[in-house]
Amino acid sequence: MNVLNVHDLSVEYAMNPGVLRAVDHVSLVVESGEAVGIVGESGCGKTSLGLAIPLLLPANATIASGSIEVSGEQVVGRSEVEVNLLRWTKVAFIFQGAMNALNPLHRVDAQILEAISAHEPDVPKAVAYAKVVELLNLVGIATKRARSYPHEFSGGMRQRVMIAMALACRPALLIADEPTTALDVISQAQILNLLLELRRTQDLSLVMISHDLAAIKRVCDRIVVMYAGIVVETGTTDEVLGRSSVVASPAHPYTRALIQAHPSLRRERSLSEGLAGHPPDLSVAIQGCRFADRCPDAQSLCREVEPPTITVSPGHSATCHFALGEAS
Amino acid sequence: MSVRYLARKMITLAITLYVTVSFNFLLFHVLPGNPVQLLARSGHFDAAARTQLIKLFGLNHSLLVQYFTYLNDMAHGHLGFSYIYREPVTTVLGSAVGNTVLLVGTATVITVIVGVWFGVVAAARANSLTDASITVTSLSLWSMPDFFTGMILIFIFGVWSHVFPVSGIESPGLTTGTFGHVFDIGRHLILPALTLTLVNAAEFSLITRNTLVDVLVEDYIVTARAKGLRRHVIIWRHAVRNALLPVVTATALYVGMILGGAIQVETVFSWPGLGLLTYNAVEQRDYPVLEGSFLLFAIAVIATNFFADLLYQALDARVRET
Amino acid sequence: MSSTTSGPETSSDPGSNVIRKARSSVWRGVWTDHMGRTGVIMLGFVLFIILIGPLIFPFNASAFGSSASSILQGPSRAHWMGTTELGQDVFRQFLVGGRISLYVGVSATVIAILLGTGIGLVAGYYVGWRDTILMRVTDFFLVLPTLPLIIVLAALFGQSIVVTSLVIGLTSWPQTARIIRSQVLSLRERPLVLRARSLGARDVRIMGLHILPNVAPLIFANLVLVLSGSILAQAALAFLGLGDPVQASWGTMLHNAFNSGAMSEGAWWYVLTPGIGIVVMVLAFSLVGHALDRVMNPLRRGAR
Repeated sequence: MNVLNVHDLSVEYAMNPGVLRAVDHVSLVVESGEAVGIVGESGCGKTSLGLAIPLLLPANATIASGSIEVSGEQVVGRSEVEVNLLRWTKVAFIFQGAMNALNPLHRVDAQILEAISAHEPDVPKAVAYAKVVELLNLVGIATKRARSYPHEFSGGMRQRVMIAMALACRPALLIADEPTTALDVISQAQILNLLLELRRTQDLSLVMISHDLAAIKRVCDRIVVMYAGIVVETGTTDEVLGRSSVVASPAHPYTRALIQAHPSLRRERSLSEGLAGHPPDLSVAIQGCRFADRCPDAQSLCREVEPPTITVSPGHSATCHFALGEAS
Repeated sequence: MSVRYLARKMITLAITLYVTVSFNFLLFHVLPGNPVQLLARSGHFDAAARTQLIKLFGLNHSLLVQYFTYLNDMAHGHLGFSYIYREPVTTVLGSAVGNTVLLVGTATVITVIVGVWFGVVAAARANSLTDASITVTSLSLWSMPDFFTGMILIFIFGVWSHVFPVSGIESPGLTTGTFGHVFDIGRHLILPALTLTLVNAAEFSLITRNTLVDVLVEDYIVTARAKGLRRHVIIWRHAVRNALLPVVTATALYVGMILGGAIQVETVFSWPGLGLLTYNAVEQRDYPVLEGSFLLFAIAVIATNFFADLLYQALDARVRET
Repeated sequence: MSSTTSGPETSSDPGSNVIRKARSSVWRGVWTDHMGRTGVIMLGFVLFIILIGPLIFPFNASAFGSSASSILQGPSRAHWMGTTELGQDVFRQFLVGGRISLYVGVSATVIAILLGTGIGLVAGYYVGWRDTILMRVTDFFLVLPTLPLIIVLAALFGQSIVVTSLVIGLTSWPQTARIIRSQVLSLRERPLVLRARSLGARDVRIMGLHILPNVAPLIFANLVLVLSGSILAQAALAFLGLGDPVQASWGTMLHNAFNSGAMSEGAWWYVLTPGIGIVVMVLAFSLVGHALDRVMNPLRRGAR
């Protein structure tokens, strides 16, 4: 059974005036034990997609179409009370920059404990607390620091706390939104190692949202590239980004631009540097390919006709008229 | 809470008190000329008494000597002598201070509870009809002068119906034992306390609502939702405490405000506290009493702020080390 | 949960446009806000009555009643809002009194805003010792209870409307100073300002050209709030008998009503007329201020 099955999902934000379609008919499947990376510039809809899965979208956002199944249970259309039963037990979330993701006024052990007692009210306090300590130890935080406040930890430590908290109710799926972005290089590496290790030991499926291709490449089996609210390319990380024995063969010009802008060893370069311009304004209708305005290989066809999704090889597809390379 | 922090706060407190006392001197003894000129304006004394008083007040000395004499008097709790009551100002103030504490204390407790509750309800349903109604009601109540709110309540409960007493703190000539006496004071307390509560709870609800709306978009609230916590747990455990920090910081403004309200409300309801005393002192130009009560008001605000600072320390772990 | 709203991550592009547009037309934002529009309409109504009313009804506000029977009369065709304890027409006093309430409120606000902006600007721009001294003074005045201080000053220095305006203005600036200072503190680090300084532009020029225009909307939003506060303070002062006895404001009318036993006589018209005048005027300003705050605070704006 797939731990996550997103089908034809659209997310719209009510703007003043009009609406903005941040996620446009996106489908995404995560098999048990699989790690999927979602990449794209900021504003491409990847965070909205992630937030939609446990229905955490802000109030001015609505799910305009599609369905989301988490461990076989439909999420869309459920009430807050019903979704609460799935949250953290089936799907947990790690947020970008744990500075503010932890409540500054509560001790970290209490914040983990409340997640356990919210879902397992019958477990005695002492047992639950023992589990809190065990979780903290698992992510490398000493027992004596359990009663600290978030501000007493470094950024990397806070992210560890966040991960420990995410594991509290043994979720099948973990969504990590930019888990390493706000951290220094050493902490980034440590957090990625921790995620890799937990994937093995905790039987976790992972959706990792990041603009950091190197991080995705390190942790994920499969990659989904999003641009302007749609999936433009999907395939195995090996095939799209390359691995020692495999040559990278991205099929979409946007993916190629991302890779060029992002030399694998120099993470400090920002994503959009190698790419002129900005993603299009999603509150107005776009004719043809969404990437055409910034695409180096764009033809007149691209500006007129919306490209189909073309299968490049089994499990690898791209939404581009010239995915198979006719353009050049 | 560290001893060093406490010591530093105490020193700041001492300096602020000193500056306040000096400001008081400036206000009453330097700016308007001198106390005897005030006396002359008040019309309570003739020329012979004036000459005597100039000597008595030491006004033949330099301003600096007067200042030190004044500081010395303050240090010994001498606040002067009331023209009207013919008693030391400390005695006059002492008989009123308890009544004001009773009124302001009752009103504050109710204000905080009611104000915060309505603010939370409004913020939790931000931009709904409930929110709009609470906000409009709060703004309307806030726009009413305290004394006018009191006058309306007098019309409703004292003139058109006779539900509650509208004047004083007790019914004259009532002899029904301790319990009856307390009950009588309680009945007299209702309308003045209600008046103060209406205006200030409105302000509290607006502040709480706005800070809470800001807090509710913080990342840790999304985390709390992601954890599957119930709505009221998220609001009360995770949001309200954070939202109340700015409210605690605003204590200085609040105390100043409620004391200003107390002067008006005590006047309207003839509640025998510091406010009514201030009003009478103004009416009859009893400057020593005015000076004493102003000093007391200022000290009350400064002291409350001192304790609010300590409370803030206790609530917010982030500032504890500093 | 409906309360947790924010723009989507895409808002960095189209979203900021929305905010910029709103800033460029603050007034349109206020007008499209229900409360803001109500406030503007109420304000127009009040100003019309206060400024045009006395021209349409050119009566002598202090004319006494002709006989004892005209004392504390309820509303009638001859006296729309009844009569006072001296047989004067309440409606005429109301029309004239509003001007005085507004006059004191506006002049006190002008004083407070000038002082607060000046102090906030200097403290925020120069940081260092000037900032320290000015903020210590500001904090001290912030802590002093405002109404008792105003009462004391009025009792010591007199009751004319000029003194009242001065007294309220001189005690209402600290919050403005604080707000302006913190805004200036962040503005002075803006690239444009830093460049102007490195090019040797004079401080006064930078403040006038680059900083003041950027704090102007903030000053304006604050002005509306100070204005409602000043009108309330003036009303309280007048009610406590410290109003100008010659130029009776709405507060003074309430003082007279209260002290003449209008309450126990059940003369509600004498109390409600000036009282509602104050409430409507203050509420109008509060509603506009509230709307301004919503328009200019992007976070709360996003939460709509």
